[in-house]
Amino acid sequence: MMSRPRLVAVLLLGLLVPRPGLSQGVGGSVGIDANVIGPVLTITTLSNLNFGSVPKGVATTVQPTAAGAGAWQIQGSKNANVTITFVLPALLTNIQALPGSTMPVSFGATSARWNRATNNVAGATAFDPSGGTTGKLGPPANPYIYLWIGGTVTPAATAKPGVYTGTIIVTIAYL
Amino acid sequence: MKRTGLSLALLWGAAPLAGQGVVIAPHAVFMDARTRSGAVLLYNPNTEPVEVAISFFFGYPATDSAGIIVVRTVEHPDSTSPSAASWIQAFPRRLTVPPLERQTIRLLASPPPGLADGEYWARLVISAKGGQLPVTGVADTAKVRVGLTLEVRTIIGVFYRKGAVHTGISLSGLRTAVVGDSLAVWARLTQQGNAAYIGSAHAALVDSTGKTLAEMKAPIGVYYTMEPRYALPIGALAPGRYRLRLDLSTAREDLAPELVLPSPPVRDSVEVRVP
Repeated sequence: MMSRPRLVAVLLLGLLVPRPGLSQGVGGSVGIDANVIGPVLTITTLSNLNFGSVPKGVATTVQPTAAGAGAWQIQGSKNANVTITFVLPALLTNIQALPGSTMPVSFGATSARWNRATNNVAGATAFDPSGGTTGKLGPPANPYIYLWIGGTVTPAATAKPGVYTGTIIVTIAYL
Repeated sequence: MKRTGLSLALLWGAAPLAGQGVVIAPHAVFMDARTRSGAVLLYNPNTEPVEVAISFFFGYPATDSAGIIVVRTVEHPDSTSPSAASWIQAFPRRLTVPPLERQTIRLLASPPPGLADGEYWARLVISAKGGQLPVTGVADTAKVRVGLTLEVRTIIGVFYRKGAVHTGISLSGLRTAVVGDSLAVWARLTQQGNAAYIGSAHAALVDSTGKTLAEMKAPIGVYYTMEPRYALPIGALAPGRYRLRLDLSTAREDLAPELVLPSPPVRDSVEVRVP
């Protein structure tokens, strides 16, 4: 059975094939020649980094191997190299409380993992997300990289109740 | 609905993500002085809209001291740098791609007058942000809940070619070392001509009969000089003498042939002794 990203890629390529009598593109823009479209590049967020409910005054860690870890799937050209870098927050903001209610968040030397071709975090390579890494997409049958990230939050004993959020930005540069 | 209320509704209504992201094609854009334009197509395969922002910078693949390929960013390229980042524009630069729809980003080049023949480079950054936030569960304002949203940025190469462009590569300093169950391979690659060398590297370890025992193939882009490190899985290789062959060619399966600048293959080999 065809995987979802591959199916999407096939459907997208189908959209790009010029058809006589049909306008191409969106909003009246000119269509793209199908022959300039090579393999597509897709970064899919599979899950956000979710700590759930955490106790006040106690540091809580989500390992990259845990169910709450953030996860991405990268699909691209087989065997291609990509660089993986992160922009990481240092503080999370309580979106229910008054401004200024924050919580520290940190990331360690093994808070991130990546795996070539296979969606299997147990066999993935650990790396420090603050330094990033270089990954290689899988072979023709599985031209993927899977990526996971965990972290540690340290709520103060006086932390206000509510929902604390932030954003992790992952950058994939095609080399 | 107030913003906070909407956010909470999103938070507490959010199940594990079925997938957030945007499909980008192609993964490299080639423009020329005749049309001065290019296009990138975005497709949102998900059930939530995706907010997209477009930007450019000047950078190129290079290697660090360990031979790892990285993108070297040049924030303020000087006048001798082949940077197109300041004179290629994207339209639109911000957009929302609705679920199951596609949008086209048009790229238009406005090069300075008197631009010399050659190839000019930029990196296109596509930032995509989904609408859902992560925390699940029922509303309970007495608890402390924590979740982080993941945003993705994709960087692809943009190439602008004017006039006669040609490329080539020189290969030197080929060397190897057995590291654990792998054969590490280093080589010094220097781009020739006035365009980047976009091609493939093929390394093969052969025995005295010419039989291939291990090999590796990877796409490469050489913009100046780089010294990449490759690794071939060799397992438990019997002691003896072998030969490592490295071939560089401009063949690329992921790019249309008319987009790749041809150049004669370059080869070198080196003896490998396994004690």
